[in-house]
Amino acid sequence: MKLRSLASAGAIAAALTAGGTAANAWSLEEAAAPYAGTTVDVVFLLRPGYEAAEAMIPEFTEKTGIEINITKLPYENALGEQVRDFVAGGDLDIALIDLVWIGNFAENEWIVPIDKFTSNPDLADPELDIDDFFPLVLNAFGGWNGTIYGLPFDNYSGLLFYNRCMLEEAGFDGPPETWDAVMNEYGPALTKDGKYAYALQSKRNETQSADSFARMLWPFGGSFLDENFRSNLMSAESQAGLKFRQNLMQYMPEGIVSYDHAETVNALAQGDVAFITEWSAFYATLKNPETSQVTDCLGIAPEPMGPAGRKPALGGFSLAVASQADEDEQAAAWLFIQWVTSKANAETYLRKGGVPARQSVYELPGIAEEFDFVPALVESWQDGVPEFRPRFAEWPEITEIVQEWGTKMMLGEVTTEEGAQEIGTRMEAVLDQAGYYSGEKPLAQ
Amino acid sequence: MSSRVPKRTLFSFIGPSILALALVGIGPLIYAVWTSLHFFNLTKLRQVEFIGLDNYAHVLTDPIFWDAMGRTFLLLGIALPLQIAFGLGIALLLHQPGIGFLKTLTRLALVLPMATTYAVVGLLGQVMFNIKYGVVNQLLGFVGVDPINWIGDPANAFYAVVFWDVWQWTPFVALVLLAGLTTVPPEIEEAARLETRSWWKVLRYVQLPFLLPGLVAVLILRTADTLKLFDMVFTMTRGGPGNATEFISILIQRVGFRAFDQGLASAQAVILLVITIVLSQLYIRVFYKEVR
Repeated sequence: MKLRSLASAGAIAAALTAGGTAANAWSLEEAAAPYAGTTVDVVFLLRPGYEAAEAMIPEFTEKTGIEINITKLPYENALGEQVRDFVAGGDLDIALIDLVWIGNFAENEWIVPIDKFTSNPDLADPELDIDDFFPLVLNAFGGWNGTIYGLPFDNYSGLLFYNRCMLEEAGFDGPPETWDAVMNEYGPALTKDGKYAYALQSKRNETQSADSFARMLWPFGGSFLDENFRSNLMSAESQAGLKFRQNLMQYMPEGIVSYDHAETVNALAQGDVAFITEWSAFYATLKNPETSQVTDCLGIAPEPMGPAGRKPALGGFSLAVASQADEDEQAAAWLFIQWVTSKANAETYLRKGGVPARQSVYELPGIAEEFDFVPALVESWQDGVPEFRPRFAEWPEITEIVQEWGTKMMLGEVTTEEGAQEIGTRMEAVLDQAGYYSGEKPLAQ
Repeated sequence: MSSRVPKRTLFSFIGPSILALALVGIGPLIYAVWTSLHFFNLTKLRQVEFIGLDNYAHVLTDPIFWDAMGRTFLLLGIALPLQIAFGLGIALLLHQPGIGFLKTLTRLALVLPMATTYAVVGLLGQVMFNIKYGVVNQLLGFVGVDPINWIGDPANAFYAVVFWDVWQWTPFVALVLLAGLTTVPPEIEEAARLETRSWWKVLRYVQLPFLLPGLVAVLILRTADTLKLFDMVFTMTRGGPGNATEFISILIQRVGFRAFDQGLASAQAVILLVITIVLSQLYIRVFYKEVR
């Protein structure tokens, strides 16, 4: 018995040692060896985070022999291109998923849960450390209905970028802490001499629904849907937010409904507005002297708080393996996703202009000082709302409705009540047809 | 004649054209009609089902569709007469005797707007009509006009689209009409000028009959082009602000490729096709009758 115990203990120790050795011995080069020469097709956007990743790819290819074939698209084309590719059984091996597309992609089974790869010791990097991702970001960007499909790649939170010099000239010693202060103090003081206090990107595309409409709902306690998936846009809180947006337009540049991200970032970069609420991804543009005249005056803070709290805009993209790819392509795709979002590469990605979702990188000494958006970003990712925009498969239809009627509200063509009523009716029709009210689909967003 | 040519030879000449047309035109059209009779959403392919004429009923009772259609015809109603008026003016000027070198230069210059890609025209518009940095407002500033909010104001955005459409397609009309003017026999034109000093009478009774075939072609082509106008508007305004520049093709693209409802978008496209065919037939009957 004793002998048998000893033998068992010896066997366990040997197994642990062997296992430990295997774990230690795992290397990207060896894991990728069977897939050398494989080409992985992926869609990238024309944004700084993708340029950062692109600059890193030669190193990956050198180590693995896996080629990454990038198709660059503007954001507005990325969903359509990918949907068409997946429906037609095309070439894409990796899905680039905005957080509002995840329900759509997952329900259509266009993407593979990461379990398939993390449970395969040949492919799973022992240093993957999934818990190192900000939980909010991992679940919102890469998760759907309790399953993780993608790893956060290009990660945003809404931040307040401000021109410190303009604020100081107007007598403010810091950025606005609340939306109330924006309306009653900063707005009147900073809107003068052809300059404006604030620009809220509101162009009729996803910018209108995500950056403009939703941004003003949540801090005021509003939301798109109530717990029964009925429209919540007529609630007092939602209406307060939408009316606030209407009133705030007096402190925004004329024609704000035609402002997309580029115009808004440019307005701050050229010193035409005092502050903007934009995605963290635009830090690189605003900090670059070639694209910004306010680099020395640039300040960054979390978005202002409303009566319901801070509730900053949350957006970003994960990368997931496409189910249409064959087994070799899936393995190669996973190795790339795992590598580009890894803890080990997070600092490189950050230094090249990306915004990683790894908690550990922001704890490195000197990072918070060097990248002054970091404290605000980390704070925002603690306060964010995963369902800032519903992430279910019906969002592409609903966002079109919000874009149309949200813009009409801003133009004064309809009141906030009329617009909200119209959006609510149409949104509920889409949800009804999808089967949420008959119980065919769970109320997941 | 045809009886002497073997059928096989006839088919070998016409066959490839019919095959190509079937592949790129008729096949997709049949597929679009099939799609329009189904609930067919690209992101819900498991729910595809035959729904008969529901999509057509939805389109025909949808105020958004008719608003977009009305906006498209308003664009056509404003832009086309301007293009014909300016085009005719340019053609008549170029038809004048003499100034040979200038005429050649002008003809070359006329090709440039047409040769510019629609999408590029839209992107140019986005930059040039920018309220703050655009060259249009800068030029207006030289004559003391305050900056105009071109793209951000619904009415101005619509007129910016009209302006670009007129800019891009007036040369086409001018060249077609100029070609028509060259078909007027010089002796008839000369005789007419000896009879009257009124340029209007010469134009109305001598030149216009020769211009009519070209004008009908212009009407048909420009109507079809305006009904399917997409790239320039998409890149310049994306149909906004609000719905101000949401023309019918922008709406169809939005429904079909942004909301992915291919069934509804196909129904819209089929109705648009029917309207285009009816209009073309109308033009041919009315104007060709006059020619005859």
